[in-house]
Amino acid sequence: MRVWGSVLGGYARSRFVRRVLRDFERGLVAFSDLERSIVEASSVIIGAQVSAGLAYVVDGLLDWHDIFRSFVSSWRNVTPTGLLRYFDNNFFYRIPLFTGEPEATRLVWPPRVRLYSRLSEPSGFKVVIPGPFTFTSMSINASKASFGELASSIARLLESEVRGAVESGASMIQIDEPILSDPDIKKDDAIMAVELINSIIRDIKGVKTILSVYFDVPSSSVYEVLLNSRVDCLSLDIIDAPKRALDLILGRGFGGHCGVLGLINARTIYDDDISRLEDIFGSIIKGYSGEEIGLTTSTWLDLIPYDYSLRKTKLLGLLVERIARSFNLEHVWRVS
Amino acid sequence: MAYSVPRKFPTTIVGSYPKMPQALEAIKKRKSGEISEEEFKEIVKPAIREVVEDYLWAGVDIISDGEQAREDMVVYFAERMRGYSIGDWVRVFDNEYFRKPIVIGRVEWISPMTLDHWLYTTSISQDRPVKGILTGPYTMMEWSFDLYYRDRRELIIDLAKVIRREVEELIKAGAQYIQVDEPALSTRPWREDAELLKEALDIIFKGLEAKRIIHICFGRLERIIPYILDYPVDQFDLEMKNSNFRLLPYLKEYGFNKELAFGVVDVHSFQVESIREIEEAIDTVMRADIVNPEKAYVKPDCGLKRLPRDIARAKLKNMVEAARRAREKY
Repeated sequence: MRVWGSVLGGYARSRFVRRVLRDFERGLVAFSDLERSIVEASSVIIGAQVSAGLAYVVDGLLDWHDIFRSFVSSWRNVTPTGLLRYFDNNFFYRIPLFTGEPEATRLVWPPRVRLYSRLSEPSGFKVVIPGPFTFTSMSINASKASFGELASSIARLLESEVRGAVESGASMIQIDEPILSDPDIKKDDAIMAVELINSIIRDIKGVKTILSVYFDVPSSSVYEVLLNSRVDCLSLDIIDAPKRALDLILGRGFGGHCGVLGLINARTIYDDDISRLEDIFGSIIKGYSGEEIGLTTSTWLDLIPYDYSLRKTKLLGLLVERIARSFNLEHVWRVS
Repeated sequence: MAYSVPRKFPTTIVGSYPKMPQALEAIKKRKSGEISEEEFKEIVKPAIREVVEDYLWAGVDIISDGEQAREDMVVYFAERMRGYSIGDWVRVFDNEYFRKPIVIGRVEWISPMTLDHWLYTTSISQDRPVKGILTGPYTMMEWSFDLYYRDRRELIIDLAKVIRREVEELIKAGAQYIQVDEPALSTRPWREDAELLKEALDIIFKGLEAKRIIHICFGRLERIIPYILDYPVDQFDLEMKNSNFRLLPYLKEYGFNKELAFGVVDVHSFQVESIREIEEAIDTVMRADIVNPEKAYVKPDCGLKRLPRDIARAKLKNMVEAARRAREKY
C-alpha cells in the first residue's frame, strides 16, 4: 500500500505578504509588484512542502482573502458583501451576494497552475476549489434562481475551472465541502452536493480527485451519501473529533475510495503527538483495503501564524515518513 | 437626577462601536511601545467621548464605552492578565489580523482591566447606566492557543476566576449591569461545552448584586438552548435579526423565563433598517409570547464595530425610535 501527504489548503501569510498586500491596498505598490511578491512567497511555501516530502503541494493561496473570494471577484453577478463567521473559527469571510446567474470573466486556476506546477516538481500540484453546495449555502441568493439552480450555475463555472486546471498541468483536484460536516445537513442536501460534485469531475481523467469535508465529522447518513461520490478520494478531518471520526470510518469504511486522513491539527500551534497519530492511523488501517492512503492537515493552514504553518508542514512530512516505516507502506513523495 | 431607564423595552447596545481615529492611533502607539498603558488610557478617552455622544444623540438607554481601547475582544484581556503571551498574527478577515494570544502559564488577574474606562464613560453618560463588558472565559479559551494547561476545564475555571475578580472591581465602583460576551459558544454548540461554561459562569456571577447578562451571537445556539437556560444570569442578550428570529420557537418550547435582550438590527448589513422594520422585529418577538415588555430589551444583534460610524448611528437612532413606539403600543 502507498501512503502520501498533502496539506489541505491555504497557508498563513508571512509579514512580507501582509505588508505588500496592505501597501497595494493603499496604492503604494503596483499590481505587478504585488504579483511578483506573491509568487516569491508562494515559492517558499511550495519549497517547504516539497522538502517535507509531500507528494502533492498547494501554492498557499496567499492572495485569497477567503475560500470564495477569488471566484467571486472573477465572476459577474456576484459581489462580496458583509462579514460572517467562517464555521467555528475567529475568522470571517465576506458573504457572496448573487444578483443573477454568475458568469466567469476570467479563470482563477489555469494561470496559477501554469505558474506553479513546474515549481512544484517532483511533487504534483494540487488545485483546491470550494464545493458548489458550500458555496451556495454560504452565499446570499438575491437572484431569481432557486438554490438548486444557483448551485448548478456555480458548479458549471467550477467545472470550467477544473477542466482548465487539468489542461494546465494540475495533478490533483480537491473540492472542499466543509458545510457537509454541519449537524444540520440532511441526507437530501448531501445528495445534491454529491450530484454537483459529480457534475464537476464528470469528464476529468488522469488526475486524482478528492472530496474534502472538515471542521467536524459528517453525520453517518450524510457520510453514507458521500460514499456514492465519483471522486477518487474522501478526505475527513479526523483530529477535530477523533472518536466520532473513527466510529464513522470503522463502521462505514471509505466505500472503495482512497481515504485521506486529516491528522495534523491545523488549528493548534503545539507539536502534534506523532505516536498518538500513529495509533489512530493503526486503528484505521486494520480494516482498510485500498491501495493507497493520504495524510493531511485537519483544515487549511491559514488559521495559525505563518511560522507554525511551516512547522505543521514539516510535522506532516514527518508523520508520513513515520507511518510509512511503522506500517511498512510505500512512501510516495514524488508524482512527476 | 438619575436617569430613568424605561420600564418597557429599554434600549441598549452589545458593546463595541466603530473605532474612532484617536483610538486606532492610540492602539498603534501602545503596540509599538511609544506610549505607556497609563498614557494609552488617557489618549483613548476622547474616542470614548465621541461614542457616548453618539449613544446620547441616538437616545440609547444603557450604554458602553464602545470598547474603543480594545484592539480585539480577546487580545485586550490577554495582554492585561498574567499567564498569556501575545502570539503572532492570525488573520481575522481580508488582510486584517489579530495577535492570537497564547496561554503559557497559570492565568491570573493583575489589576483592573476595564475599570478606568467604565468610570470615565459613567462620568460622561449623563447618568445613563454603563455596562461593564467582559469577554467570557469560554471565548477567551477558544480563541487563544493553549500551551500550558492542555486541559480545557482547568483553563476555563482559572479564566473565570480572573473575570470574577474584574467583575468585583466593577461592582465595587457601582456597575449595575455586568455583561459577559461568549460569541464562541454558539460556534461549538455541544452540550459538554455548554455545561463547561455553566461551571465557569457560576464562579463569575455567584452572589453578585448587579444585573447579570450573557451575550451570545450567531452560530447554532438552538442546539444547546436546553443546556444554557439555567445559566446563572438575569438576561440573555441574543442575536436575532440576522437569523430571522429563528431562535424564538426554541425559547418558547424550552420555557425561557429570564429577560431577553434581542437583536433588531443586523450588524453585518450596511443597510439601515427603517423604524417600521424594527417595529416589526419587536412585534415578531412579542407575538412569540416569550417575554413581556418589562423583560424585553431592544438592541443590535452584536457589536457595531464593523460598521461605518454614520451607519451605526443611523441604526441606533431608528432602533431607539422603534422602541419608543413599541412602548406606546404594548
